[in-house]
Amino acid sequence: MSTVESRPGAPRPPAAVTREPAAEKPAKPFDRPRFLKLFIGLFFLFSFAPIVLVVLFSFNSSRSLQDFQGFSVRWYETFFESESLRDSLLASVQIALVTMLIATLIGTLLAYGLVRARTRASGALNILMLVPLVTPEIVAGASALLLFTQIGFELSLTTIMLAHITFSISYVTVVVRARLAAISRDVEDAAMDLGATRLATFRLVTLPALWPAILAAGLLVFALSFDDFVLSFFTTGESPQPLPVRIWTQIRFGVRPTINAIGTFMLVVSIVTIGLALLLPRLLGRRESGLKVLLGREGA
Amino acid sequence: MTENRFAATFLVPGGLWLLLLFVVPLLCLLAISFGYTDDLGEAVYGTRLDNYDRLLDPDYLPVLFRSVGFALATVVLCLLIGYPVAYYIAIFGGRWKTVLLALVVLPFFVNYLIRTYAWIAMLGDDGLVNGVLDTDLRFLNTPYAVIAGLVYGFLTFMILPIYAALDRMDPWLIEAGKDLYGSPWQTFRNVTLPHTIQGVLAGSVLVFLPAVGDFVSASLLGGPSEVMVGNLIQQQFQASDNWPFGAALTVAMMAFLMIWMVLYLRAAARETRGAEA
Amino acid sequence: MRSDLNRRELLQGGAGLAVGLGLAGCGVGNSDSGSKEKTEKPIKKRVDGDLVYFNYAEYVDPDLVKGFEKKYGVKVRESYFDSMSAMMAKLRAGIAYDVIFPSAEYAQRLIEGNLIRKIDRDRLRNVDTVYPHFDNPWYDKGSEHTTPYSMYMTGLGYREDKVTGMTGSWRDLGTADSQDRSFLLDDYQEAVGMANLVNGYKLNETDRDKLEKSQEYLVDLKPKLRGVSADTITNMASGQAYIQHLWNGDIVNIRYQVDNPEDFKFQKCKEGIPVGSDVFAIPVNAKHPGTALLFMEYMLEPEHAAQNVEWIGYPMPYEGGATEAFRGLVKDDPEINLTVEDLDQGQQFANLKGEGRLAWDEVWTEFKIS
Repeated sequence: MSTVESRPGAPRPPAAVTREPAAEKPAKPFDRPRFLKLFIGLFFLFSFAPIVLVVLFSFNSSRSLQDFQGFSVRWYETFFESESLRDSLLASVQIALVTMLIATLIGTLLAYGLVRARTRASGALNILMLVPLVTPEIVAGASALLLFTQIGFELSLTTIMLAHITFSISYVTVVVRARLAAISRDVEDAAMDLGATRLATFRLVTLPALWPAILAAGLLVFALSFDDFVLSFFTTGESPQPLPVRIWTQIRFGVRPTINAIGTFMLVVSIVTIGLALLLPRLLGRRESGLKVLLGREGA
Repeated sequence: MTENRFAATFLVPGGLWLLLLFVVPLLCLLAISFGYTDDLGEAVYGTRLDNYDRLLDPDYLPVLFRSVGFALATVVLCLLIGYPVAYYIAIFGGRWKTVLLALVVLPFFVNYLIRTYAWIAMLGDDGLVNGVLDTDLRFLNTPYAVIAGLVYGFLTFMILPIYAALDRMDPWLIEAGKDLYGSPWQTFRNVTLPHTIQGVLAGSVLVFLPAVGDFVSASLLGGPSEVMVGNLIQQQFQASDNWPFGAALTVAMMAFLMIWMVLYLRAAARETRGAEA
Repeated sequence: MRSDLNRRELLQGGAGLAVGLGLAGCGVGNSDSGSKEKTEKPIKKRVDGDLVYFNYAEYVDPDLVKGFEKKYGVKVRESYFDSMSAMMAKLRAGIAYDVIFPSAEYAQRLIEGNLIRKIDRDRLRNVDTVYPHFDNPWYDKGSEHTTPYSMYMTGLGYREDKVTGMTGSWRDLGTADSQDRSFLLDDYQEAVGMANLVNGYKLNETDRDKLEKSQEYLVDLKPKLRGVSADTITNMASGQAYIQHLWNGDIVNIRYQVDNPEDFKFQKCKEGIPVGSDVFAIPVNAKHPGTALLFMEYMLEPEHAAQNVEWIGYPMPYEGGATEAFRGLVKDDPEINLTVEDLDQGQQFANLKGEGRLAWDEVWTEFKIS
């Protein structure tokens, strides 16, 4: 989220050295990161402990959430056999896809406008764009429900999508903006000198350069929407309800181990999503990893 | 068409969307905060100040202080844990940077509720930890459990901006710093930290503001004393069926948060101007 | 007081907003309330489309739902709420559900608001098995709009093997020795109601002075509580709670999940037993009321009711299969059983209006923030 784009005055090392990965192991003794390594190890331990538990107990043969009594896939069977759970899963995917497409579109446009345009509204829009990021979801959900109820807009998957998009735009804008700011305008100026219209320049020069960031942001939005609970809870209509809402209502009235099967499944989906986010730019012919693209480091 | 006009049109869809679907609902919320509930329990618009009057009762202050306190503790812990993690990955990650970062983010995508219930199974009085260590430690239903839950939920929001800032930093600066300052701590304090302060600020804001309004953590992991503003709001909307009062609480909370938002933006702008100078 | 005036002046500006919007007096919602004719249109008992079902999660045996789908060749579209408030919010938002499951006092509210339809109960098979207690209930005169679905009573669940000092009183929640694992139910109705009973008042007491005493009781209770939670089943089954304020059906569900069910007991408290019921209702804007009626009838069938009782762990107020089934579930601990005498003697939560409701809400909020 750093908005510092260049570092004037920094010693510029010879070109050959910059091509190496930023983390070449330094030789000085006090740099040996023993303590840090231990710290990271502990961090990942705590981070993954509940995950391991969830995955483990999803295969528990008994109903207990405390004692593991044997291996079984019955909870997965329950999950996949339940029509309402399947419908919920499909609904979540649907919502996440549409949210991803529209939020990415609007967010990218907004990012371009914020970086390249200097209008009186820019400052206000900048703030407006940032507010959803820090608004507690319960506020967002309650106000959205209030609005829809007020204007008589029937609650449905559409209302959930509308709410999700509203809160995803900001994520896209922030990611794309970071990338956009790192793109040199020289190429754009060159294109226009050669006679291309602004629109054509945007389409043929800027957009392709932004593309990996847009994709990465889109996948981030997909994952966030897929896991969102509070917003969905307020804006969901009658069935099917998105998966996290189902989980909440199920959790409150008797936790059944199917929850763990659902959780493990969602984990797998997320792994695939993140994997795509990181590998796709590479597959699209770029040499750097998707990670660098996401952070605007490509070509830096 | 000037470049400005061209780029400005790009602002329209986003601006319009946010205005209609973000600002307007918040205005509705503001309006209903002046209302009341009728006999059917339905919220009715009005011009009453009863809800705000009720808020001015000093009994509500402890809840606000607690929410802010928990959120601050969360930010501090996220910084203490998140910065080293981000630092390690950015500086020492090497080829594994991508994988490590993915591992950091991955647990975040298992539904938060499910993860929390797993923690409860682990930390319960008769849970795994107490069972394995054969102790009788009380983890749950304490303020510490709530803060731990908050940290667990928001840590990623701290790690990512700091990582981005560290990654964007020229590694030669650290090398130069080491030559200049000699000790790792001094280097960190005088070189690394100032250059990553934007990331720290951004992460802090991304953690602090939503944490104040969180209710899930306190609801699942806290005891009867651990009631946060978010819990009160949720209660009004989902149990007491008192939307006008819930709206008033929300407006008050948002007003409070906006102050910090503005401070952050001023600080961020100052840093940007300072760096560009 | 001067300072009051200043505060008011400061806030006056904001009030202008609502006035400016011209919305003062308008309710939030388009549930189309007010028209009594819509509620009185008779419903033909026949399949007229898929069933749109809105209930608590895990509150109907999914096998029965599948059976219903098969029998009538319809789909049941399920969605869930987790509180009456959430249910009302969605109803007000105008969603067209076919069958909903409000609690008795909410049913009364819905009837008064002309939000649920009249049903000709006599046309349902097996309706004669419904307990006579529900023929002309306080919340639905003449039983014209609802059919009871389940019934429950509130008490204290406790671990007989871990707790000492249970004396048959509500006060045990604070005084019995539970090794600091006592939980209050996170439900403002149940909590405030219990406090009223403890003080010897009636369950639905709304007198402000008396409510203050109840509030005091709750606030004094707080330090002795480990938690305030609605996760009753998980709390006790995981051993986190040794005493939990809960409903009798919860104990049955807990026993299903643990290795030592005989240690989990239910105490009916001497100061008074809150008794409640959840009912079937068909909202006024239901698109397939015929199918809804068929669903009610389907659940009334003795074998289905018995099967449902065993799955949800709660008693259903129908004579025959359902009653037998629940009695069988709790035969070792008959105090968990909700008998007709309990129904008649227990106190039921009323639909509090206006000032009373606000007063209860304030007690609860004060308790939470204290």
